[in-house]
Amino acid sequence: MAGRQHLPAVWSHMTPDLPATRIQHMEMRDIVKTFPGVRANDGVSIDVHSGEVHALLGENGAGKSTLMRQLYGMYQPDSGEIRINDEPVQFRRPLDAIRAGIGMIHQHFMLVPTMTVAENVALGQPSTRGLRLDLDVVSERIATLSEEYGLRVDPEAAIWQLSVGEQQRVEIIKALDLGASLIILDEPTAVLTPQEVDDLFVTLRRMVAEGHSLLFISHKLHEVLDVTDRVTVLRDGASVGSRATKETTRDELVQMMVGRELGDLEIREASTGEAAIEISGLRVLGDRGEEIVRGVDLTVHHGEILGIAGVSGNGQRELAEALSGVREATAGRVKIDGTEITSAPLNERVAAGLSFVPEERMRDGAIGEFTVQENVFLHDHDEPEFCRGIFLKFPQMAEHAESLVSQFAVKTPGLDTPLKNLSGGNIQKLILARELSREPRVLIASQPTRGVDIGASEYIHQVLLEQRDAGMAILLISEDLEEIQTLSDRIAVIYNGRIVGTVERSEADAQSIGVLMAGGSLQQAHQETAERD
Amino acid sequence: MKRRAFLVSLVMLMVMVTTLAVAGATSEAEADSEVFRIAVVMPSATTDTAFSQSMWSALVTVQEAMGGEEAVELVYSENMFIVPDAAAALRDYASQGYDLVIGHGSQYGTIIEDLAPDFPETAFAWGTDVNTFGLDNVYAYTAAAEQGGYVNGVIAGLMTQSGTIGVTGPVEVGDARTYVTGFYQGVRSVNSEANVAETWTGSFSDVALMTAAAQTHILNGADILTGSSQSVVGSIGAALEAGDVLWFGTQAEQTTLAPDIVVASQVYDWSMMLMEIVENAQSGVYGGESYILTLENEGLKIAYNEGVDVPAEAVEAAEAAIAGIIDGSIEIDL
Amino acid sequence: MSELLSANVLTGMLNTMLTLATPLLFAALGETFSQRSGVVNLGVDGIMLLSAFGAFYVVLTNGSLFLGLVVAMLIGIAMGAAMSFVSVTMKAEQGVSGIGLQMFGLGMSSLLFKVMVGTVKTVQGFPRVRIPLLAEIPFLGPILFNNNVLVYIAFALVPICWYVLERTTIGLAIKAVGQNPAAADSRGINVDLVRYGSVCFGAMLAGMAGAAISISTVNLFQDNLTAGQGFIAVALVYFGGWTPVGVMFGALLFSVANSLQLWLQVLGVNVPAGLANMLPYILTIVVLTISVSRGKAPAALNRPFLRGEN
Repeated sequence: MAGRQHLPAVWSHMTPDLPATRIQHMEMRDIVKTFPGVRANDGVSIDVHSGEVHALLGENGAGKSTLMRQLYGMYQPDSGEIRINDEPVQFRRPLDAIRAGIGMIHQHFMLVPTMTVAENVALGQPSTRGLRLDLDVVSERIATLSEEYGLRVDPEAAIWQLSVGEQQRVEIIKALDLGASLIILDEPTAVLTPQEVDDLFVTLRRMVAEGHSLLFISHKLHEVLDVTDRVTVLRDGASVGSRATKETTRDELVQMMVGRELGDLEIREASTGEAAIEISGLRVLGDRGEEIVRGVDLTVHHGEILGIAGVSGNGQRELAEALSGVREATAGRVKIDGTEITSAPLNERVAAGLSFVPEERMRDGAIGEFTVQENVFLHDHDEPEFCRGIFLKFPQMAEHAESLVSQFAVKTPGLDTPLKNLSGGNIQKLILARELSREPRVLIASQPTRGVDIGASEYIHQVLLEQRDAGMAILLISEDLEEIQTLSDRIAVIYNGRIVGTVERSEADAQSIGVLMAGGSLQQAHQETAERD
Repeated sequence: MKRRAFLVSLVMLMVMVTTLAVAGATSEAEADSEVFRIAVVMPSATTDTAFSQSMWSALVTVQEAMGGEEAVELVYSENMFIVPDAAAALRDYASQGYDLVIGHGSQYGTIIEDLAPDFPETAFAWGTDVNTFGLDNVYAYTAAAEQGGYVNGVIAGLMTQSGTIGVTGPVEVGDARTYVTGFYQGVRSVNSEANVAETWTGSFSDVALMTAAAQTHILNGADILTGSSQSVVGSIGAALEAGDVLWFGTQAEQTTLAPDIVVASQVYDWSMMLMEIVENAQSGVYGGESYILTLENEGLKIAYNEGVDVPAEAVEAAEAAIAGIIDGSIEIDL
Repeated sequence: MSELLSANVLTGMLNTMLTLATPLLFAALGETFSQRSGVVNLGVDGIMLLSAFGAFYVVLTNGSLFLGLVVAMLIGIAMGAAMSFVSVTMKAEQGVSGIGLQMFGLGMSSLLFKVMVGTVKTVQGFPRVRIPLLAEIPFLGPILFNNNVLVYIAFALVPICWYVLERTTIGLAIKAVGQNPAAADSRGINVDLVRYGSVCFGAMLAGMAGAAISISTVNLFQDNLTAGQGFIAVALVYFGGWTPVGVMFGALLFSVANSLQLWLQVLGVNVPAGLANMLPYILTIVVLTISVSRGKAPAALNRPFLRGEN
């Protein structure tokens, strides 16, 4: 960072100047933030010192991101105050926060995909040449930062060409290049492979060693325990308590997050039956017309959960879409209980016994503006049980919806509540209830607990295991490795459109799966595990 | 937020539509029962120095002849180039009890055909066409534009130095087509060597393309240009800029646009026809007839520009052509 | 047909091409800026009309061409500010506000023309300026270096616009706002300000496009003078893949096709006029189909930005 020149910024009202002083201590006191109908933050306090990692832990919707967005000037608190180095400050927009030395790594990266790394870093910064861009100077700065913090990235590469892990490095470089001394990381590990997570933690430790303060938002307990110094837990917008990481336990944190203790999942031995899903040589094109599923062979048996692990973007989504018939397969075949459905229309797939929990639940699985009851009947409104000709039998429909809602413990004010007003967990439970009520023999579940709170996740996991025990074949696609490991009888790892290895539950450990997820071979995976042991 | 955005869009839209409407229709005094009320819908402006202006000035003439604003009320909607808008305007006028409703454009024919049976006590007129659809409250009118075209052609054929003449037309339909056909035959009748080149822009209103068309003719060596539609102002402008190119007009008197280069204009005079339609309507005959403006019934006139010298020989030939057309010795193939 | 290849015809054709391309180029370059920042301004045609009238009226009454041009630019900026207010500040549907602006321009120019001028009148427009020496170059000289000043300005704007978009911090900010306004915002860029600036600059160029018709090409004003050229300009932005150079090629292709079809007709080549008229449009569609401009569109095109809503 040394030797950085500063010419007066031409759009000085637009471009940030480097912060004058480092943040030694940042404190948010009694922050209250209300959105129409929701009290997102209810008197939350948190503070962080230079050289410290402070975790903000909580379920989805607990108010973590809202709190951090206020620190970054994206929202203004209704009441409460923010103090930096014991001076009260007010951030009306991100620029104010940037000037004060705060950087934020958003969960959804704030990158312009069509631009290069250097351009993204230069964005919003005064150029050393006035109006003219100084990308070569920026590239040099990137190289320096890369070396200093172990953030390997090519300044000339376009963002869309980079892996998610690399993109995250760009985000960190952006914050560092602006001279941020307090960096907020919003769920930074959600999209990374285990190896990338390790790399990230190395970088974070270097940053802390340099005297940076980090605010680390997460709902993954082992990471929090691994990398932070202090933990503050939020629940329903309020602060439940703070602990020094050393002095707390996983169980205590869970209880603080969820408000109760979680029972352990009981996993019985699988009693595997006949082949239910047989996929051979399946090839599928991606959105850009390139082949993204490149010859997948898989078999899932009745009474078995097969988990597909992999870093996002390796063909999982397209594979699931091809199985549900949303996307056309260009080659290969898919059989359900011996019936070929490779290019069958949806109703034939359903007739063959197939059901789906889609990845984008609000896009492919439900209609937000429709009521709970209407969403239950998105497909089944033409069952003779629920209609006479073109006329719907509302009493019977209400009865059925009611029974699903109570059976699956969906928390909703009523059957006529628009679905979008429900929490992610309850929406997912309702979709699962609907799909299972059709008594399918085969279920494709994509990211079934993404964005779902711990309580609901636990419930969904239980349901999936019960269904497995009752003989259902379940293909579980998830980027949450913990989920895959907990539920799957076998784990298939997808990389670059191919299944690069399948491991039994007994042999599956995070390290060897991680090697496969990063494109390594099964052999390498075993080797690496052996070395560690 | 969304709601507010929607409301703002709606208010914007309403403001815009109102501006259009204000610009479009001008209404004069409220009617009383004695006044004969005429409404006209036109595709371009009343000041287009062409098609719409020819009708508007005839209506003003009729109003003056019949006793001014106390006797005849005139309203118009101009720039009704979007046909569904014109349909709405025509129906509004008919519903408001106007005695004579004119759709001044051949694109309005089907509207009149639909509308007239609903208002049997209202006289409708439309043009340019001769089809009254067998309805007894529809008049149709057109102009034998080929006749004046022939006369203009005769003069042009005798005045060209370069032997190349350019025609800049809009769309090859109606009186634009017949005018050019007559013009061509007029040129050829006196000058069999002359090269008459035609361009059609495909639009009645694209002035810029019309200008480019005229410039193309001039580059090709044309020293005389003619053409029709409201967009010919572009051609006239190009002729003016070139300096040594002459212009022949049609539909309305175009001398005012370029006093130094307009040689003669074929002028449509709808006033006599309109007078007759008004008188018929007052005596209870609301339609069933079609009118054609010709040199013979003096609905068509050739207006010379005194500012441009026309050789005596050409004037004589033009007079002879007019006589020949009237007495039938000259026939124009359409 | 062989006459088409004579030097005289080619010179004429290319000259007409430049004249026809100039207003399209101004308007399309302006729209490029607007769209690069994420705002589709469908009101270009309306801006051109009102500016064309303003420029014409100033020249008609005062005589100064320069003042006419300035007035056209100011009208453009004012209408751009109105468009920005509705679509950027109020977050209204861009398509609707653009069409509203177009109708306003059409109606208002018509009304003002009727009230303030009345009938068609002509003015002395920008004269051709022969650039010494360069105009002496055989064949190309008279085509390229004997035009009016607006033609030179329009084509000079192409590299300037390219430079601004690709080589300056301003261009980087505009592109980022059009691709990912949330990212730009998180870097402290004022998204609304950038969009106001881009839309107003674009509208100013649309104003110059209007002047390029009323006081440089046809030298008069008439109702609906532009005859939809503003919409062609919007289409050219897609055609040109949102780049100044692409837009210029689009404008030239469209214009040379128009000029070619006029020559085909003048020379009496046996092509039905209706078919000849379609030539520019057909050619544009063909090129659009062949060239891959999909995926080049600014990702946030047509999307209002509200902080915290992704």
